[in-house]
Order: sequence, then structure tokens, then C-alpha cells
Amino acid sequence: MKLNSLVTTLVASIGLAGCASQTKYEDPGYAYGCPVGAEKINSKSSLIKAKVEMAGAVPHIDVVDLRCAQRSEQLRIDVDLKNTDNDVRRIAYKFRWMDKDGMRAWDDETWKPVLIYGNTIYTLTTQAPSQDATDFRVVIMDQDK
Amino acid sequence: MKHALCIRFACAAVLFATIVLSGCAEKTRYGDARGVETVTNQFGSTDLQMIAESMTRSMLNTPIVTGGERPIMTVQEVKNKTSEYIDTRSITDSIRVELQKSGRVRFAVDAAAMDQQIEELKRQQSDYYDAKKSAEIGKMVGAAYRIEGNITSIVKEAKDVKDVYYKFSLQLWNVQSGLLEWADEKEIRKTTTR
Repeated sequence: MKLNSLVTTLVASIGLAGCASQTKYEDPGYAYGCPVGAEKINSKSSLIKAKVEMAGAVPHIDVVDLRCAQRSEQLRIDVDLKNTDNDVRRIAYKFRWMDKDGMRAWDDETWKPVLIYGNTIYTLTTQAPSQDATDFRVVIMDQDK
Repeated sequence: MKHALCIRFACAAVLFATIVLSGCAEKTRYGDARGVETVTNQFGSTDLQMIAESMTRSMLNTPIVTGGERPIMTVQEVKNKTSEYIDTRSITDSIRVELQKSGRVRFAVDAAAMDQQIEELKRQQSDYYDAKKSAEIGKMVGAAYRIEGNITSIVKEAKDVKDVYYKFSLQLWNVQSGLLEWADEKEIRKTTTR
């Protein structure tokens, strides 16, 4: 009986340890892998709020996730957009790039038109155009007007 | 009495003409050079800019470029295999500008600019220049990689619909080994309905 409870406790401990959330240490000025500077970011939604700009109303388009990673010393970004409407939606997007001092690090990107089918997620993917471009904003605009 | 009526009629005519002409007057405004252009479904500025941006960002990911050795490249022809006139040189120029600005690659003189380069070298060898400060002949650096590509299109047209599909392919070849080091494509579809 005693042995049984010991084994149960041991199995439970191993199981719980496996399920425990892993703590990742972020570099100062970063949140969820994305550069945030001095801004206080305590959730994914506050990160999205800080990084996404809507150029006017963009109905039925939600930014549901934003991921950043360093690839070959350059910032790589994925932004998940969800079309919550049943119909196809057309939007355009561009990224704005800043350097470590918050100064513009690259010329204006072109607006890129995108078609998103109803109730689906579309991922905008980009990479920083140069090593100086260490921070960004993604700007989204409606194209169905 | 008759004279006064004539003057009134003339005034009314002038007023009417002024209103009509001012309604037809042209209006010129500056627009966003990077905005989405959908005036027709022919190849346009948005297509050119999207292709250049997409190809550049993709090429910047290749191990040749990320290696940090700033490889030397040259731009060769992009063949236009579509049925419309497209200035492919403008596309490759934009790609070259973006790559150069990234600071990760360098470009050697391409075939199109070779005549001007040789002309300048010869000019500096003339007696008008200080020989010690003139560029020497035989010191030019050849490219290790060459960029080439093509653009194709498929156009389908029905009574009320015109669909245009563009595919832009770009490749990076190793000049010495002849190996294909990188390749990517950008597809664009535009549909016009009446």
C-alpha cells in the first residue's frame, strides 16, 4: 500500500513537472521575442496593441497573434490575421522599420494587397530589410471600400 | 430695350460657360507612390514594388548572403515572357537597390554598364589625369554570383471578367561552379470584373 502511494506520487510529480509552463528569460527591451523598448508589455494583446496600427476602420479583421524571432542576425516577424466574416476580405499591409534609437531605418514599404477567405487565418510574414532595422510597426488598411 | 436684353443674355451666357468650364477643370494632386494601384489589371507599380521587395527579403535569407562575406553579384537580364510591355530593367534595378541598401552584398558592373565603365577607365589613362591617382586598368573585380530571371503571364478573358496571373522567377547562379544557389518566385493574380 505504502509502495503504491509512493509510485503514484512519483508518477504525478513527473507528470506535473512535464506540464509545467517553461519560463523563458527575455532580453531587456524585448517581449515575446519582439523588440518593445521601454514599453511595459505584459500580455500578447498588449504587444499586438503596441505593434499594430490600423489605418482607418478595418472591420472583421482581427490580429490574433504576433511572433518575432532573430534569424541570421535579422528580425523575422509573423502576424496572424483572422477574417471573422463569412465573406472574403481584402486588406493591404506594410511594415515600418525603426532602428534602436526609434529613428526610421528604411524607406516606406509598398502597401501589399492581401485576400483573406472567410473565417480563416492568414499569416503576414516578413524579415527586417537590414540589420539596422531592429524595431517595427505593422500597418493594416481596408481595401474593400 | 432690345440692347438691354442682349446684354442680359450675354451675361447669362458667360456665367453659364464659366460654371460649365469650372466643372470640367482638371485637378492634379500628389498621391502615395507606394499605394495600391488598381487603375487597370496590367502590370503596375504595386506589382513591381511587391516583386522587388519579396525577392530581396527572400535572397537576404540565403546562406551566401547571411555568411557575412558580402558576396559580389551582377544582375543579368530578366526575360519578359508576357504578352505586354514590361520594363524588366526597372524591376532588377529596384532589387539591386534594396540588396545594396541592406549592406550585405556588393555589385560588380553588369553587362549593360560595361561600356561606360571601360570608357571611364580609358579616360583616366589620358594625360589630363594624375597617373598616381587614376584608376588602373586590370583591377576590376568580377562577380562571384549572377542574378537572372523571367516573368510570365497567363491572361484569361470572358465576357465580363479578365483574369491576369503573373509569375516572376529569380535565380542566383554561382558563376564559377554553375550551381544554382538560390531561387524564388512571386505570384500575382488580378481580376477585373465589369
